[in-house]
Amino acid sequence: MQSSQKQGIPGARTRAEAGILIKERKENRQGGVEKKKKKKKKKRKKMGTLGRAIYTVGFWVRETGQALDRLGSRLQGHYRFQEQLSRHRTLMNVFDKVPMVDREAFVAPSASIIGDVHVGRSSSIWYGCVLRGDVNSISIGIGTNIQDNSLVHVAKSNLSGKVLPTLIGDNVTVGHSAVLHGCTVEDETFVGMGATLLDGVVLEKHAMVAAGALVRQNTRIPSGEVWGGNPAKFLRKLTDDEIAFISQSAINYSNLAQAHAAENAKDLDGVEFEKVLRKKFAKQDEEYDSMLGVVRDTPPELTLPDDIKSPKAV
Amino acid sequence: MATLARISRRILPRTFSIPLPGRAFSAEAAALPPPPPPPIIKESADRVKWDYRGQRKLIPLGQWAPKIAVDAYVAPNVVLAGQVVVYDGASVWNGAVLRGDLNKISVGFCSNVQERCVVHAAWSSPTGLPAETLIERFVTVGAYSLLRSCTIEPECIIGQHSILMEGSLVETHSILEAGSVVPPGRRIPSGELWAGNPAKFVRTLTHEETLEIPKLAVAINDLSKSYYSEFLPYSTVYLEVEKMKSSLGISI
Repeated sequence: MQSSQKQGIPGARTRAEAGILIKERKENRQGGVEKKKKKKKKKRKKMGTLGRAIYTVGFWVRETGQALDRLGSRLQGHYRFQEQLSRHRTLMNVFDKVPMVDREAFVAPSASIIGDVHVGRSSSIWYGCVLRGDVNSISIGIGTNIQDNSLVHVAKSNLSGKVLPTLIGDNVTVGHSAVLHGCTVEDETFVGMGATLLDGVVLEKHAMVAAGALVRQNTRIPSGEVWGGNPAKFLRKLTDDEIAFISQSAINYSNLAQAHAAENAKDLDGVEFEKVLRKKFAKQDEEYDSMLGVVRDTPPELTLPDDIKSPKAV
Repeated sequence: MATLARISRRILPRTFSIPLPGRAFSAEAAALPPPPPPPIIKESADRVKWDYRGQRKLIPLGQWAPKIAVDAYVAPNVVLAGQVVVYDGASVWNGAVLRGDLNKISVGFCSNVQERCVVHAAWSSPTGLPAETLIERFVTVGAYSLLRSCTIEPECIIGQHSILMEGSLVETHSILEAGSVVPPGRRIPSGELWAGNPAKFVRTLTHEETLEIPKLAVAINDLSKSYYSEFLPYSTVYLEVEKMKSSLGISI
């Protein structure tokens, strides 16, 4: 006690301890000075050690995590699930029948285009469609859109014995979940969603099949008419406005398809970058900014082209 | 043979069409119009035939990103694009496509959109109301249904393979039978059972049946929980890739 009081060093009980403490503190002070110098000269190096320490700890955590994953898999035993890479093939050939899809066509990754299929320029095949050209050919023209979950198939044998390729013309709109089986659809027609067109159906130019219709085999739907119901019957004639609307809707859809195509083609870096941008953008408030007198632009990656946001109404 | 025909058609003027040899004598030659030339397709070298990543579940478009609640079950085949919000307890089953690219789609609390449905929203609705597709709470949308810009009020059942067109409104406590097609702008009144193509009134629902509707939604919610627990938060495909690489001797 006396010695510490003599020395004036708090925390030391014996002289020896005091001595040690003095040494340590001297070193610290010296080291501190040196460290400060080091800090000024080589700041990065000092941060490097800390950064590296954190990196190593992170690495240990990840190693532990992976080991825990393996432990969990062993515990799950027989029923555990091992994920596989997606084997879904967007474009698949059946031996020598190869699908040919134009450069500017949009094909959703979850669609399946199989066999002898030709898809023309600026056409779009949306999510979940199946175009099976395995026994005969399917030909899709320019500017056509085959919307989500549709099925286009060809028949090998049907009741009348004819084998028909499926021909879909230009600027056709085929609605969601339609089923087209061995039929010929001419240009600028509209197949409503959920419609089923059976073998040998010919849909002439500017005709329309209403939603949910079932068009029986070998029916010929004349130009400019609307057919609907199950079995499909003539409903009414199309007005000129509606005919113009059909071609406009095909154009609108091909514009929309470009936006989807761009988004689906992004790689991981692009996706992650956009996520960060979106988070940042979500915090911005236009009213607040205008009150402050600040003008901020939305980043170009987050803006959709104008022709999608306000399509030309007919 | 076909290319020769194409070239000859292009070179020769229209009025001077030479019938193809072999068809001049057939009875069908005069009746059938010449088949249109196949579209000229310029293929892209970049087109991938197979992408190991498969189809992404959430596809943001511009500023809109789909949002899924924490305890909602969304099957891995589903595609959510654009402005889609899936609220708590909801479930979206295999193969469904919810495309909110033109307008908003929301799946309410404890609702379920079953297998292979397509939910879309048009640019504008014929009724003039906002053309978003709004599925409110406790709604069961049966398999293979197609919903386009419709509003489904709380506690309804939409039968399988039904088609709801733009602007239709299904009021609360009503049931649509399987295969029904609701024309654009149609309103299904509260507490009734409708069926058919186009949908027609069948009968009103008894009070007991009305009580069953949310129970069905809750039952499917329970089922979705067992599906939800099958999936880990993050994919473990990288383990399989590692195995494949080591088995094939690939070092990247």
